[in-house]
Amino acid sequence: MRAASITFISLALTSAVVGNAFYHKKQFYPSVVYITKSNPSMAVIYIQALVVVVLMGKLMQKVFFGQLRAAEFEHLADRSWYAVTETCLAFTLFRDDFAPRFVAQFILLLFLKAFHWLAEDRVDFMERSPIISWIFHLRVISLMFVLSILDLYFVNHAYESTVSGGASAQIVFGFEYMILLMIVVNIGIKYVLHTIDLNSENPWDNKAVFLLYTEVVMGLFKVVLYFTFLIIMVRIFTLPLFLFRPMYYTLRSFRKAINDVILSRRAIRNMNTLYPDATPEELSAADNVCIICREEMLTASKKLPCNHIFHTSCLRSWFQRQQTCPTCRLNILRIPGERNTAANPAAGAEAQAPHAPDVPPVPHPGLQNPFVNGVFPGMFPFWQQQFNLQPPNPLPNQPHHPPGHPPQQEPSTSSGSASGPQPGLNAMPPPFPPMPPGFGLPFFYPPFPPTPMPPPFGIPPPMPPPGLAHLNDEELQRMECAAREGIAARLQCLQNIQQLLDAAVLLMQQYSNAAATAATNLVHVPLVPQMPTASAAPTAATPTSSTSSSSSNASATIPSSQPSSSTNRNTPANVKTHSSEVPSSSRSEELKASTDVKISPRSEGTPDSTATSSSPSVATGLSREQDEIRRRRLQKFSGNPEPLD
Amino acid sequence: MAGSALRRLMAEYKQLTLNPPEGIIAGPINEENFFEWEALITGPEGTCFEGGVFPAKLVFPSDYPLSPPKMQFTCEMFHPNIYADGRVCISILHAPGDDPMGYESSAERWSPVQSVEKILLSVVSMLAEPNDESGANVDAAKMWREDRNEFNRIAEKIVRKTLGLS
Ligand SMILES: [Zn+2]
Ligand SMILES: [Zn+2]
Repeated sequence: MRAASITFISLALTSAVVGNAFYHKKQFYPSVVYITKSNPSMAVIYIQALVVVVLMGKLMQKVFFGQLRAAEFEHLADRSWYAVTETCLAFTLFRDDFAPRFVAQFILLLFLKAFHWLAEDRVDFMERSPIISWIFHLRVISLMFVLSILDLYFVNHAYESTVSGGASAQIVFGFEYMILLMIVVNIGIKYVLHTIDLNSENPWDNKAVFLLYTEVVMGLFKVVLYFTFLIIMVRIFTLPLFLFRPMYYTLRSFRKAINDVILSRRAIRNMNTLYPDATPEELSAADNVCIICREEMLTASKKLPCNHIFHTSCLRSWFQRQQTCPTCRLNILRIPGERNTAANPAAGAEAQAPHAPDVPPVPHPGLQNPFVNGVFPGMFPFWQQQFNLQPPNPLPNQPHHPPGHPPQQEPSTSSGSASGPQPGLNAMPPPFPPMPPGFGLPFFYPPFPPTPMPPPFGIPPPMPPPGLAHLNDEELQRMECAAREGIAARLQCLQNIQQLLDAAVLLMQQYSNAAATAATNLVHVPLVPQMPTASAAPTAATPTSSTSSSSSNASATIPSSQPSSSTNRNTPANVKTHSSEVPSSSRSEELKASTDVKISPRSEGTPDSTATSSSPSVATGLSREQDEIRRRRLQKFSGNPEPLD
Repeated sequence: MAGSALRRLMAEYKQLTLNPPEGIIAGPINEENFFEWEALITGPEGTCFEGGVFPAKLVFPSDYPLSPPKMQFTCEMFHPNIYADGRVCISILHAPGDDPMGYESSAERWSPVQSVEKILLSVVSMLAEPNDESGANVDAAKMWREDRNEFNRIAEKIVRKTLGLS
């Protein structure tokens, strides 16, 4: 309403001025001269011109944008304010050029700038609306076309006039239109990307990356342009104050764009190296909706160390902002460093310790096999002489082996070196020798056939060490190194040991179950010697079977005669749980309870475990739980890279 | 295919329409623009805001589930956690690291797990139990602590206003 009245008043004034001039001079040229000579008349004419320009602007806006949205209008108002103040600053610089023509050019520039901003907002709006009509496309395309033509024309015009007439305010115009041209190009690229995305059938994951790089390239162009202009202005005129604010914002957004690219690249790198792809089974699990986009995960998805699964692209854009799991806020940058690369064994040990109290994750001189050292000291001393078994101290040496050179022993020479307090009693051999997957099975099965028990070692346990003789000096030195690979190798060895222990516990549990189901109270003990039997040299396997059965009688008497307190003598506190449950192996019910309780917390430490809450329910779903644990163990065996021989 | 932010907002809108939580209505002001929503929140029962229907506006960023939306009541409000201009200050609306009040733990911060529904439910519980350690509206916080009767009186006045009763 106000705009209409202003328009009307200015129109009336103009007609009055023109009519008055015409009334006095009767002819066209004298009237024009008359008007230009009179200052009040000229003021009216200028106001009229301004009103016409504004009306033209409104018309253009209606043509190219239709109704402006509230946000667009606010945006426009904010930026116009700055643009006007900067224009005033620029005026002060070019006082000499001050002329109506010059002012008109600035006003035109302002209008064109406003149209560029609006076009930018409109193209950004494409991402926000589900309804993009063909009119929208028509408007945007034609607008970009018109704007780029105008920008080019004015850049050219400024260039020509500078070349012919020397440096003047035209330099400023030329530069401003160059910047506007950049903006048009930027808008055009965005528009093309958005249009491709809108018309594609599937979500276009890489659009964000393209937008990011567009931002960087255009930012770079703008920064270069601003600095060139700054230098030119300083050399020809003076310091252009009106330039500083836009220059600051350009630099800031350029820096942000570069930062975004760095973060994005880091996120992509982390995604590709640290986190495994989710398997089809995990994806087909019940609730497989990606929490970031709330869509089903049918395509590329990643699993974080905390077992949460997300779309690769969703996770990437999230990691650009924060390096945490969106669901549980686990700091994923810290955890994988400990778990996967083992760069920090102490911290890794701390991280594992609460989950795996029964297995010490760091080299421990006193670490012995609990079954042998702790529970049955002196039970199998004859093994050593009879079968000339390997010395029992693999653990203290193992940590010094680099990857690719698995733990190993010099046969029967290092028995007294760094072993436990009672080397002679440590009948536990080093990790199993290579054996075919089913080799040890006859010994593992209890003597009663109808037990529903799966083979405990479907997959060979960790590789045994090759002989030390195979190593050259350099390799031996590398074994002792404190560098990353050495530590990684030691941790690998410890993990192998941990797996062995877990497997042994599992084995025991299965035996006890078998014993319980068969309702016999005689034949359940041989499981303890199984470890030594299976791990002994294959040649020794056959004779050992008789030994183990004989030893079973011995061990069956032990639990009652030897309380568990005595069994802890040589056992580190953290392996006590293993040893303390062995005496109860004769009472299968207790064993069931103790092993279950013990295994469940241990399984929390494995990366693939999901059911921490399942441990309370073991009493009911015992066999299911067992299967679950076994599956995990097997997974772990196959998942972990084993030392090569 | 629309952008992921738009698709997620459409999904949330659908969800909110199909299973509206009690006492909350929310949706885009204009379905041409899914990044500006309005919400109507009824004051929780048994509190001083009981019975009121409070209109609010939610503005979503273009990278929506990665960054939180902004929420602002469009009616007059008097509450320790609502600025005088209606902006809501609760931890779920801030990303970790962006900490205007400096006391919030990151556990309750914004992450893509959150949603419009959770935000609005948090706002409802904020209406029921103001956090007077947050200084979004210091006067309201002080009054909530020290002069509960006066606070209740003002709240009741606001409730009546939102219902067009006074
Ligand atoms: Zn997703
Ligand atoms: Zn997680």
